[in-house]
Amino acid sequence: MTAPTEPLDSRVYRWHPNTRKVGIAGMILGLVAFWLALPPLNTRAVALPVAVGFLGVAAGIWAVSRGERRTGWGAVLVSVLGMACGVLATRATVGHLEVVVTWSALIAATFRYATPLTFAAMGGLFSERSGVVNIALEGMMLMGAFFAILGADKTGSWEAGLFTGMAAGAALALVHAFFCINLRADQIVVGTAINFLALGITGYAYIDIYGLAGTPDHIPTVPDVHLKFLEHIPPTSLGNFLEDSIGTMNLMIWLSFLLVIVTYIVIFRTPTGLRIRSVGEHPRAADTVGISVYRTRYLAVTTSGALAALGGAYLSIGFLGSFGENLTAGRGFIALAALIFGNWRPFGAFGAALLFGFASAFAPQLQNVDSWAQYNTLFQALPYLLTLIAVAGIIGRSIPPAAVGRPYVKQ
Amino acid sequence: MVDEIPVLELRGITKRFPGVVANDRVDLDVREGEVHALLGENGAGKSTLMNEVYGLYRPDEGQVWVRGRPVTIHSPKEAIASGIGMVHQHFMLIPVMTVAENIVLATEPTHGAVFLDLDTAVARVKELSETFGLAVDPRARVDAISVAQQQRVEILKALYRGADILILDEPTAVLTPQETEELFVVIRSLREQGKSIIFISHKLKEVLQIADRITVLRRGKKVETLQREGATENQLARLMVGREVLLRVDKQPASPGDPLLLVEELSVLDDRGLEAVRGASLEVREGEIVGLAGVDGNGQTELIEALTGLRRVASGRIAIGGKDVTGAGAKDVIDLGIGHIPEDRHRHGLVLDFSLAENLALHDFRKAPDSRFGWLFPRRLVERAKNLLRQFDVRGGGPETLASSLSGGNQQKVVLAREIARDPRVLLAAQPTRGLDVGAIEFVHRRLIEARDRRKAVLLISFELDEILSLADRILVIYEGRIVAEFGPDADEHELGIAMTGGTLEEVAA
Amino acid sequence: MSEPDTPIEPAATPEEAGPPSVAARLALYQRAGGIITPLLTAALAFLIGGLVVVATTGKSPFSTYRAIFRGAGLNWFFDVGSHSIRVPFSTHHVWFPWNTAFASTAGFNLQQTLILATPLMLTGLAVAFAFRCGLFNIGGNGQYTVGAMFAMQMGVWFVGLPQALHIFLALGVAALAGAVWAGIAGLLKATVGAHEVITTIMLNYIALLVASWLIGIGGPLQQNNPGQESVPESSTIANSAHLPVFWGSPVLQGLHIGIFIAIGALVVYWLVLNRTTLGFEVRAVGYNPEAARYSGISVAKNYFLAMAISGAFAGIAGGIDLLGWEFKLDTTDVASTQAGFIGIAVALLGRNKPIGIFLAAILFGALLTGTSTRNLDPTIFQPELAGNLSRIIQGLVVLFVGADVLILYLWNSRRKLRRGQPKAVTSP
Repeated sequence: MTAPTEPLDSRVYRWHPNTRKVGIAGMILGLVAFWLALPPLNTRAVALPVAVGFLGVAAGIWAVSRGERRTGWGAVLVSVLGMACGVLATRATVGHLEVVVTWSALIAATFRYATPLTFAAMGGLFSERSGVVNIALEGMMLMGAFFAILGADKTGSWEAGLFTGMAAGAALALVHAFFCINLRADQIVVGTAINFLALGITGYAYIDIYGLAGTPDHIPTVPDVHLKFLEHIPPTSLGNFLEDSIGTMNLMIWLSFLLVIVTYIVIFRTPTGLRIRSVGEHPRAADTVGISVYRTRYLAVTTSGALAALGGAYLSIGFLGSFGENLTAGRGFIALAALIFGNWRPFGAFGAALLFGFASAFAPQLQNVDSWAQYNTLFQALPYLLTLIAVAGIIGRSIPPAAVGRPYVKQ
Repeated sequence: MVDEIPVLELRGITKRFPGVVANDRVDLDVREGEVHALLGENGAGKSTLMNEVYGLYRPDEGQVWVRGRPVTIHSPKEAIASGIGMVHQHFMLIPVMTVAENIVLATEPTHGAVFLDLDTAVARVKELSETFGLAVDPRARVDAISVAQQQRVEILKALYRGADILILDEPTAVLTPQETEELFVVIRSLREQGKSIIFISHKLKEVLQIADRITVLRRGKKVETLQREGATENQLARLMVGREVLLRVDKQPASPGDPLLLVEELSVLDDRGLEAVRGASLEVREGEIVGLAGVDGNGQTELIEALTGLRRVASGRIAIGGKDVTGAGAKDVIDLGIGHIPEDRHRHGLVLDFSLAENLALHDFRKAPDSRFGWLFPRRLVERAKNLLRQFDVRGGGPETLASSLSGGNQQKVVLAREIARDPRVLLAAQPTRGLDVGAIEFVHRRLIEARDRRKAVLLISFELDEILSLADRILVIYEGRIVAEFGPDADEHELGIAMTGGTLEEVAA
Repeated sequence: MSEPDTPIEPAATPEEAGPPSVAARLALYQRAGGIITPLLTAALAFLIGGLVVVATTGKSPFSTYRAIFRGAGLNWFFDVGSHSIRVPFSTHHVWFPWNTAFASTAGFNLQQTLILATPLMLTGLAVAFAFRCGLFNIGGNGQYTVGAMFAMQMGVWFVGLPQALHIFLALGVAALAGAVWAGIAGLLKATVGAHEVITTIMLNYIALLVASWLIGIGGPLQQNNPGQESVPESSTIANSAHLPVFWGSPVLQGLHIGIFIAIGALVVYWLVLNRTTLGFEVRAVGYNPEAARYSGISVAKNYFLAMAISGAFAGIAGGIDLLGWEFKLDTTDVASTQAGFIGIAVALLGRNKPIGIFLAAILFGALLTGTSTRNLDPTIFQPELAGNLSRIIQGLVVLFVGADVLILYLWNSRRKLRRGQPKAVTSP
């Protein structure tokens, strides 16, 4: 009727820090329950994962009963899963486990898989926080991937490649912005169109310029960052572990970490971020205090295009060194899922990206053991299932910015 | 005093909308350090006038002066720059952000122009709130504080941006009596500090409590400006509501029979979880029209929603023809013989993209002869539609025409046709003539009388006293969720007006 | 509450009125645009495509489009003469204006076009039906896959059933499977209000990955032909489950009766929406959920049913492709499914109407066939380029759908303002 748009909840949304920490502790316990049965500890006693997992479930239930639904139920879920996996793992032979679970390689691979998702998810965050749904992250990523390769190839420098990639992503984002903001078209329809367009444009340009032979070899790629000093950290096993896992990561992976931090700061600690969020939550309120809703949304959507393009650029000139049609293969949608799973928060989305990255990194490892090889693809479905559960609100609602998806009409 | 330049002056403000003049050459002047009340019924033009001052509308004629300088205000931003702030009925606050963030939005204090300096923001908010006596927690999230506190945040928002003239649009509509008192304390404090407050309201008692001067608007025109000293409720009611000629519909006197609709101690919660209907009891007998008078926002909407099965009943009882129907769902209620003419025909009454035949069939399409075993017979729909459209004299199209092509009056006729033709025992009509021209209004009124003459029970809810007085056989007044008064068909308007604004007749007599 | 903004009719701001449903917005141009706007939209998209051709390769767009046209076999219709055709189920021959002889290349190409257009009609129907209820079903790919998988299993089991029964069973189960898969999203929307776009995208991936696992190497449904352990594909369906071919040779992938099933589905779509009480409710909810609720219609129930029916259409699409020409599934097939996505373009271009969907499906089927490496003359235009060109055209078509809604909305509201009436729907 009158007053604010949302019903006031008399059970006020005030989280008590202690309860939340207990919930998070529960989740950690669940993970530990699984980890106990894996290398390097290789516990064979079933009792241990069960006990630890049980503690995790207990912590979760305690948190839920204190009103902390999201982390509480999350802890219960993770602990139950961790317990189950831990028990299963105790029945596997240590040899098999050793071959599948090489933590250092897994960690390195996780970051490699997660990085394009991180870039795109951060991009999506800007757009959605300003109120514009962006399911065209996939298309913008693809544009970035191709035009980065093109730029690097023609100019001989990977820096230029990054720049052309970002520019291409931003340009496509401008189209998205125009149709969504000025023409007030349905944002999901426009996003779908942009994805089609990107697929066509990059495929067309790729074949037109490079023909069927593909991109040439020796295109300048983004360099890796070698952290030699890690090897020398005592004890030797730790030093080797660190060296193997994070010692030779691509520059863009490190950039992605930086991006997450910068995104957090910008969105939550700067006036720009405050205004972006206000436009996404209650554009009319923002309008009445003089904030230009259109301009803010344009900026946010263009930024999202540039960032998503960086994610694609990593794939082409950071990781593979080449391009192929539909290189992104749906990663843009995974990034969107990560954003939603992470509740539209930078570190949450980053964590979700790592989770998805881990699943992609872990799945192929299963092929090292014959009897497990077939579960490779099945395992990859797990992150999508988790996102589905998250969206369904089973472990607490995923709440998007209040005005997301609604075109704004100036009066 | 005479030489004092008014802090805000309006001369000849006129604003026209299609078909009506919302403001008709209105003059107003507001002095510094004054609480000036703008009083009038729904539709008198109060909010429109202030929206023009705040830059949300542009007046067609007239001029605004601020501190003696003529200004043209094209947007809220310009209004704020001129020192004018407005607190609307729909708050412009962002629920997930804190009080401080909402207040400083777009003028945020920063560290080195890059980082948000929320500590300074909090400090400034605290300062402001102490100066003006508006207690809020700057770090609280807006969706976690009460409505009264949110209102204070809105006021602080205006003050933070340097408002000297503060417009409050029906501020007490959302407050409890206790909170209203607190608000009045704040208003007096603001006045002491030299601020000018324009207080839009329809509640006589409050206006007499808080205002220094009162300007009464009626049907777009300014009636009079008076000092508070010496003004009485009676006098104000007469100014607000008085009219020259009353158009009454010809009707036979009623001879009501048994009660068909019975409501006992009904309690219904609104969307915010607060009680909108607080133990209301009423009955409507067959063959009578009961008019429910009251200002919008006193629980009428929730009452109707409860009666039509669209809203849960918290406690109490509803009975139709003696049968308890409390808690029945919307579909069942329709089958039980309740017809409902909703107040918003576009959102609730019609599917604008459906044809007239389809709209007319919205309640009956599941049954024969419109359908059998799930199979629809469009020709039957069209036949029935032809009949009804003729009966109810709907112009502007035939059964296949889309509802959106019709004029408002004809659309309402379609809704009426659908509801009345089903011959319900009880007919609920909520604002049935809103937005209609005179001819359509007359038509609707005739149909309601007809229904009553056919021994139906009609409950008419309207904000137009005119309408209630001319149609109703009995008049009930709803105020803050309760039925507070009952009158016969020849009720005195002024008494009605007083009851509608929370006063009691004894006080008037005293 | 203060009096309304205008004393005649309070103009509900878009935020207060709630986001207008997709169906309500699409309804605007359905009414006013007729057939002109889809034609214009398509024409504009092809125009821009032609500009791309000229700008990048310097070739004539006309000859390119003509080559695609020929590659799609649409030139078959222009070869009118005196031919004969065999009446079905007899040996009688009757006069027929077009050449159905075996050796006609155009005829062969046309068969391919129609084979590809058939599933697109169905996925287009899937998207369209959901749109009519105000829902956006992006999950066509997943529902298609699920349908194909179940059809495959039904085709592999139940060997020895009479053909008609076997096909009926397989397609019926495929429809049911698709309905269940989409129904999950519908259920989530109806109960907790989860946005169907997100849930259907997730379900797409889950379907894709689970199917890949099932028929992949070591998977439970992988074929167990001796010596083919490393081939990630399913068993082949029995002959009794094949859809009969009525034009062309079964050996060379002639046109199967699936197209009639698709046309039948178009009719069923129309019938359900316009001649059943379910369709009435679905449309009411799609146009104005609030008014529907006020009339006692259950919005949640209709969200669920609309998604389920939508998924059934997409499931049948998968089933038809499998029984019609794939006969088995391999992991690359599963991974490269695009029928669901193209269905979105089909539904939008076809304005959610059966005739429109039919024509749009043929258009996109023609684009797919006409630009394939087999059918496009590489001397005129490179097929790989042409394939991507058709994707650009698809994208433009979908993009312009959004724009023309606005143009028509402005047109309508100008007319309404002149009559002095309040706007019907507040924003596109």
